[in-house]
Formats: sequence, C-alpha cells, structure tokens
Amino acid sequence: MDNDDSRVPMSDLFVFETNQMLEQLERLILDGEKSGGLKASINEVFRIMHTIKGSAAMMLFNDISCLAHSIEDVFYYLRENKPLLVDYSELTDLVLQAVDFIKDEVRKVENRESPTGDCSEIRKKSGAFLLTLQVIDPASKDISLKSLDHEELQHDIDEKPVREGQTKWEAVIFFDEDCGMENIRAFTLVHELEELAEDIAFFPKDILENDSTAEMIREAGFKVVFATVNSSARLEEFFAKTMFLKNFQLKKTINLEESIANSVVSDNSKPSSLQEISQRGESKHSFISVNVAKMDMLMDLVGELVIAEAMVTQNPELQGVTLDKFYKSVRQLRKITGELQDTVMSIRMVPLSATFHKMNRIVRDMVRQLDKQAELQIVGEHTEVDKNIIEHISDPLMHLIRNAVDHGIEPAEERIAQGKAAVGKIRLEAKSAGGDVWIVIKDDGGGLHREKILKKALERGLIHQADSLLTDKQVYSFILQPGFSTKDEVTEFSGRGVGMDVVSQNIEKVGGTISVDSVQGEGTTMSIRIPLTLAIIDGMKVKVGNSIYTIPIIAIKESFRLQDQNLITDAEKNEMVMIRGQCYPVLRLHERFNVQQTTTDLREGIMVMVEVDGRSLCLFADSLLGQQQVVVKALPSYIKKIRGIAGCTMLGDGSVSLILDVAGLAY
Amino acid sequence: MRVLIVDDALFIRRTLKMILEQNGYEVVGEAENGLEGILKYKLLQPDLITMDITMPQMDGLTALKAIKKIDPSAKVVMITALGNESTVKETILSGANGFIVKPFVQEQVLRGLSAFK
Repeated sequence: MDNDDSRVPMSDLFVFETNQMLEQLERLILDGEKSGGLKASINEVFRIMHTIKGSAAMMLFNDISCLAHSIEDVFYYLRENKPLLVDYSELTDLVLQAVDFIKDEVRKVENRESPTGDCSEIRKKSGAFLLTLQVIDPASKDISLKSLDHEELQHDIDEKPVREGQTKWEAVIFFDEDCGMENIRAFTLVHELEELAEDIAFFPKDILENDSTAEMIREAGFKVVFATVNSSARLEEFFAKTMFLKNFQLKKTINLEESIANSVVSDNSKPSSLQEISQRGESKHSFISVNVAKMDMLMDLVGELVIAEAMVTQNPELQGVTLDKFYKSVRQLRKITGELQDTVMSIRMVPLSATFHKMNRIVRDMVRQLDKQAELQIVGEHTEVDKNIIEHISDPLMHLIRNAVDHGIEPAEERIAQGKAAVGKIRLEAKSAGGDVWIVIKDDGGGLHREKILKKALERGLIHQADSLLTDKQVYSFILQPGFSTKDEVTEFSGRGVGMDVVSQNIEKVGGTISVDSVQGEGTTMSIRIPLTLAIIDGMKVKVGNSIYTIPIIAIKESFRLQDQNLITDAEKNEMVMIRGQCYPVLRLHERFNVQQTTTDLREGIMVMVEVDGRSLCLFADSLLGQQQVVVKALPSYIKKIRGIAGCTMLGDGSVSLILDVAGLAY
Repeated sequence: MRVLIVDDALFIRRTLKMILEQNGYEVVGEAENGLEGILKYKLLQPDLITMDITMPQMDGLTALKAIKKIDPSAKVVMITALGNESTVKETILSGANGFIVKPFVQEQVLRGLSAFK
C-alpha cells in the first residue's frame, strides 16, 4: 500500500469486488421490493455495506466509506431492533441512491480519476431515516444493556480489600496513535489482566458504554489500579504483549511485601458454546477472475491457430498428392481446434441477466418519476452472448427501455380509457436462434404514429412527398435516423432525438441489426439481432476475378446457376432474377468492387442469394471455392469504413480475403 | 509465524497477505467465512488467525468461540471496522487476543502482530 506500484492492482481488485457487491445489492433490493419488503435481506445488505465500507476505507476513499457506514448503521438498527414501522419504499430509495453514488465513485476509480463526489446529502437522508426509526419505534431499546453484567462485576471488585501477599499497582498506559478504538483496547487489557490480578479499577470508568472515552485515553492515557501476587517482571511482560501498546508507567501504590513470583492463573475462561451454524442452501460455484486482456489474447491465439491450421492443411504444395493418413490426422486436428475454439468462446460468453436486471432499476425509477404504471417482464435472461457484445448493447438497451416507458406506455387513465390494463407491460426477451441472439423489447403502449413520422421525415427531407408506398417497416425505420424525434416536449429521460441513431450505430458496431415494428394503439416491438460471437464465423469463399471474397454462411440462402428465362432487365437496365415467382435484384460483385472478372456473363458465373432483414439479393461471382471458418479481423485503421465490407481474414495460403457485409450491400 | 487469514473480502485478504508475506510471516491459508475458518484452523493449525467479524454464513464471533473451544490457546486477532465497538467487546469476552481496526496500514498490522512474536 505504501508505494504507488503496488496500489494499482489493489484498486482494480477494489473496483471489481465492489462492483460485484453493488450488483448483488441492487438485485437484492429490487427483488425485495417485488416480494414485498427488504426484510428478508437486511442481514445481507448490512454485510455488503460493511464490506464496502472496509475496503473503501483501506483505499482511503472516505466518501464511499462514510456513506456505506451510514447505510450500514441503518441496517444495523433494523437488524438488532427489528422495528415494526419501517417505510420500506423510502428505505429502498435511500439504498438505491447510495448504490448509485458508490457506483459513480467506483467508476471514477476505474478510470483512474480520484473519487471526488460529495455524499453528505445522502448521508443526511440516511441519518434522518435512522432517527425517524428510533423515534417512532416503540420497541426501541437501549443497546448498551448487554454490558450491564460486566459493570456489576466491576463494582464487586472495587469493594474488595487488598489481601495479603498482594501488591497494589498503578499503571498508566498509552496506545499507539491511530490504532483505533482505544476504549475497547483498554477493555481488552482489563479483561486479560483479570487473569493475573484482582481488584481492578480503572479510569476512565465508562469505557464500555461511552465510545468517546477513546479520545480521552488517546490524550491522557488509561489508568489502571490493581492488586496482584505477580512480580513486576511478569507484569512488564504482560504489558509488552499487549497489542498496540506504546508505553506504560508501572508503579506500586501501597507498599506490601514483595511476594513469590508464582503466577496463579485463575480459571477465567468463559463458557462458550458453538452456536448453531446457520447454513443456507446456497450452492457455491468456484470461479476465478481472469484479466480480460488475457482472454482476448487467448481468443486471438485460437484465431491464429485456425488460420495456421488452414495454412497447413490447404497448403498449395499438397495439391494433387494422395495423403490418406495425412488427411486422417488433419481431421483429428480440425476436431480439436474446433473444440478448443468452442471452449474459448464459451469462456467469453456471459449471460445477459446482469444487463437485464439493470433495466428493472430503470423502469422502476422512471415509473416513479413519470407517474406511470408499468412493469418489466424479463424472459430468457440466461441467454449468453460474447462479453464484448454485452458491453456494446447495454447502453442501447437502456435507451430502448427508456423509450418504451416514456413514449410507449401511456398514463394509466389513458390506458383505462382505451380498455387496456392500467399497468403497462414491457417485455424484455432474449433468445438464441441459429447463429444469432435476438433481443426483443416489446411494450403494449400507444405504438408509433405512421403519419407523424412521415411528416417529420418530409420536414427533414428524408423523403420528398408523403409517400404512401412506403411499407410500415420502412417508415418506422426513420426513427433510427439522427436527430429524429416526434416527441414535442423533452423530458429528463428522452425526447431529444439523440439516441435512436446512437442505438443503431452501437448495435451495428457489433454486427447486429435493429428493426422496428409497431401497431398503432397496441404497442411497439424493437428487435435486435446480434451475432453470437464476433471473432470467428463460417464463411463461403467466392472467387471474383483474382480476388477471393468471403460471405458469411448465415446470410446465404442458396446459390445457383442462372438460366436465361429467369433473367429480367428493366427499363433502367437493372438486372433482376425471377425465382419461384419472386423477383430479386442482382448485384455484380465485380462492378461493386471494381475488379476484373473472368466472365461478365451472368449465366457463366454463379449466383449467391443472400438475405438480411427480410431483404434478399443475388450476388454474382465467378465461382464458389468452398466453405471455411474464418477469423474476422478488423480492417486496419488507416482504411476508412467501407460500406459492404465487414472486415478481412487471412486464408490458408496466406492471402487476404475481404469479408462481405451483406447488410451494407443490401441497402 | 504461520498465519491464517479469515475475511470475506478478497480485497482485505490480499492486502493482509501482501503485508504479512513481505514481512516474514507465512500465510498458510485463507478462508472466506467463519465456518471455512474453523475447518482451515483444524487442518492447518496456524500460529495466528486474523478474523474478520462481519462475514456471510458464519460471522467471526461465532467462529472465534468455536476455535477457542477447540483450543483455548489459539491466537485470534479480530479485524474490525470502526463503529463496531459492541461486537468487539463481545469478541474480547469470548477470548479474542486483540483486534486491528480497519482501515489499517502496513505499519499498524505489523506493530499489532509483533505482540505475538
């Protein structure tokens, strides 16, 4: 703790542990609120606050520590006195405020800033809350009653006369500075002295009941008078063994015979019983926490391994050689790398539950502030996605949930007037389908206004006339445009029109897509589709001229050779393919990427039909080269983001292949 | 000197361990709660135990009482936060050999434990 170097990892540890506890705390509290009161978790809240307080104080984060302390005080009182009249909703608010404060501070620590927040406001509140508890609670009793029996003991001893063979001593004791709780240390000393001596009297007297005596002892020392048969050497040894004892002066008060240095130790041991061990049926998993950088490294290495495997097994020098045993080994190798890859990916998978539970909190706060009624229903919280993805979708989700409460759910009266239940429902659902994870946010609120959106789109020049040809989906997707808000007034939570575009950008960053669906009067559904993982995908290699492109297998619906009668060319020379009565546009990859293709005749190459978001199109390439797992690498930063290219990958022969972004090509 | 650290906060365990190991103590084990503390005490027979008070499953006071029952001469130093006075009193009455107040710095721990050397 002394030098800065050793403090850096400690602060990381602090951040990690505190965050975990805060999350647990938040969940406890919100669960408690649902099941009608925090009562069941008083002990746990107390313990968590206590631990946070301790760690924060160690790190010298005084505000966190003080605040945790004041909350701990409240819960201590609740635990010890079990008052009957407790305003649990106020208590919940109080704790949540404290949690927010500490979270903010911890975030600052995480970003290597110094935590400078001021918690006095919340502390005042918690103090006032505790006071109210103590005042209104009829069952409140004096906590210091416990020590009464000991005090009586003290009086007994005081009145005993000095017996023969004993010497009466007086000692003045000083403890080390900042060892803390000097009064209890003095008490400890007296308690241990009881084994050696009798007739113990001390000043200050009320060390047990009055914690402010600590201050007195710190300044003036602790004075003990006692009688013992033990020698001064024995006594000095005793004092030397006392923790944090700085110095002591020992002198005889009444001169009696120096007696034999025989240590008569009276049997003072108090009967102690092993209390019943309360064991809760909590199942305990063993976890280790691993640095994310190491995980990323491992992931990269596995990626490299997959590439290296392809480099070996698809080495051009092997072509045309019969190598049965070699290929048998290759299959074995491929199986193992496949399993390795699955395992590494599963390590990176994190359930969405923590992110989802955060939303509970948001809905709760907003409902209170906006005076609406809504409940959040969470489905499929155990669905797992890559950790990177979680980080990117947390903010968008929060935004969508806010929108749902603020814009979606109507005030209770309005809902009742429309024949809906007064309490609005927001459903947050996660499920995995194929290679993707779907997160669906569905509210049963007012839905989107097609007309309003069209009007706004016209104003902003996104469309040129109130076009009734646009499908609902197309209209609704306008709300994903920057600065697009049909809400007239701005609230604390939403309505500024900043957000939905950020939401869709964030989701696109992780290769996901968002779509909006709505029925006026019945509600809005936002569907987010995100890939399960970012790093390794199944790709189809296609040849265009001398270049090889990779198309994500997930996007491919089918591939075929074109027959004459299926080709349609419209008046503007747009080529289309008619299949099973459906018309699909053709995109010539060689034109799109401006490369020389061996053949420009659509009938000689191959058509690959891809689909994204319900839109299909046919990509035209020379030929299919085969399927391969590829490791997605981002394009180097000196290349601008190119529409239609998701990234690049290295092929078995060491050449680079661009990975097509089908969504980018389709729009 | 062989020390067993009993504390539910990983943070405190790390700090203590670091302090102790850099100063000639041997940390023979760590436990996350009182119950684990008792089991590890029996198993490892350390010369000294540092015991947190507030812990899940079994608190430090209960664990202290149990350990003292197993071996009255066991050396147990409580680690306590400020403001916990009444519990500390109880631990002293139950045989705790001393206590260190959180937040502590290296010097305090070493000075405090030097009494047991």
